[in-house]
Amino acid sequence: RGIRVGYTPDVLTDATAELSVALLLSVCRRLPEAAEQVKGGGWTTWKPLWMCGYGLSNSTVGIIGLGRIGQAVARRLKPFGVKKFLYTGSGPKPEGAAEFGAEFVPLTRLAEESDFVVVTCALTPATQGMCNKDFFSRMKKTSVFVNTSRGAVVNQEDLYDALAQGQIAAAGLDVTTPEPLPTNHPLLSLKNCVILPHIGSATYATRNTMAVLAANNLLAGLRGEPMPHELQL
Amino acid sequence: MWYHKPVVNEELLQSLPNLRIVASSGVGIDHLDLKLLSSYGVKVSNTPFVVSTDTADLGMALMLASSRRLVEGYEMAISPDTEYFPADWLGAEVSGATLGIVGMGTIGYKVAERAKAFEMKILYHNRSQRKKEEESAVGAVYCKKIDDLLQQSDFVMLAVNLTPQTHKLIGKRELELMKPTATLINISRGLVVDQDALVEALQKKIIKAAALDVTYPEPLPRDHPLLKLKNVIITPHIGSATKKTRRIMMEEMIESIQAGLAGLPVPHEV
Repeated sequence: RGIRVGYTPDVLTDATAELSVALLLSVCRRLPEAAEQVKGGGWTTWKPLWMCGYGLSNSTVGIIGLGRIGQAVARRLKPFGVKKFLYTGSGPKPEGAAEFGAEFVPLTRLAEESDFVVVTCALTPATQGMCNKDFFSRMKKTSVFVNTSRGAVVNQEDLYDALAQGQIAAAGLDVTTPEPLPTNHPLLSLKNCVILPHIGSATYATRNTMAVLAANNLLAGLRGEPMPHELQL
Repeated sequence: MWYHKPVVNEELLQSLPNLRIVASSGVGIDHLDLKLLSSYGVKVSNTPFVVSTDTADLGMALMLASSRRLVEGYEMAISPDTEYFPADWLGAEVSGATLGIVGMGTIGYKVAERAKAFEMKILYHNRSQRKKEEESAVGAVYCKKIDDLLQQSDFVMLAVNLTPQTHKLIGKRELELMKPTATLINISRGLVVDQDALVEALQKKIIKAAALDVTYPEPLPRDHPLLKLKNVIITPHIGSATKKTRRIMMEEMIESIQAGLAGLPVPHEV
């Protein structure tokens, strides 16, 4: 129907990468669970192995989708002592990967070798339902899974099973299908699953920039001029 | 001893005439009366460097969780009363903001290394200035006066040890010097902060928020105002809480005990 589409890439890279790392740290150190113990009175006496989580030191991080956001995530994780970065996607990205010495591997190998998996890919027919039973069954029992891409990249029933059966240690999701999840959804009942309300780009500064950019796209479109960021259809 | 118990006092030491060494977990030794122990000829060891990485990681986790409102967001995402996620529900970015580190020891420096990757501007206050190469590796700027750090920082992270000099280091005056948009993060000891002054500052919005792994006492009494404030995250002293690190701490304590009992030099002697 000849309708042009503008969008707002790039400007939300930092905010979203930051949120991905925030979520990863909150999950692996059990932050919401621990905070609840403080408020709810579950913290009685201190024991050496109580509320223990996982450290990032000497770990392997697997990034699914090493685009702008994936690279910004890797950049932030590097000084936490990550030993190795792996990544997967439609093809290798040597320039993007060089900064981290990241190795391009098949999805299966990424699942098998990673201590932390971060999903930052686009949702396409190829990635829909990509994180499924086979994927989770290959992951380590001590691993942490974080998704800040789109809910549909993950098969949620398979994720629930993997978490409930201890096939993976914990998960963090900024995105689900649908949003919000229905109140009786099994994922909501798991202590080792931290869910956030799609706040990847939710900062004052970033949303302001996005809003201005979207408005400029719109104005340009109405005037029949080139847009700052037009989606090529 | 794990986590400050039992309390080592005159009574205990008199009841244990053969005590040769106290091996304490973690790096902090503020809970031990070193003069008293020395007078009984008892050696003391701690587990210094092994806790640094996990504690620095947690400091970052608290700063990010506070700034991006993670705990609130999680509660909203799982609440049965949530019908939709409001488009104007927003947090503040850590990336590009100014971090002021009070106490640039091993832990403080590791925090700086991590914060640099978020393109944060890093200020630090310390008893002494670090070497130029160490400063430039993380882009950290020395603030001889703590006031300068407090006035410029968006996030103030406490990573000092507890001594008579750092007791109530952050009080009413220091909190009022901070920006009203600033967040205080404490991964040191509860007593480094004047807790009553902190409660008042948070209630009056003199500072924006706080994220604390340590308080005084631990745990806080059930009716403490800090537990009710929306802009506060408290974790139960989990700075070194990974199985890997706790295991190494245990091994180090045993090493120190064995050396102490054999009359050999004690690794990590305080």
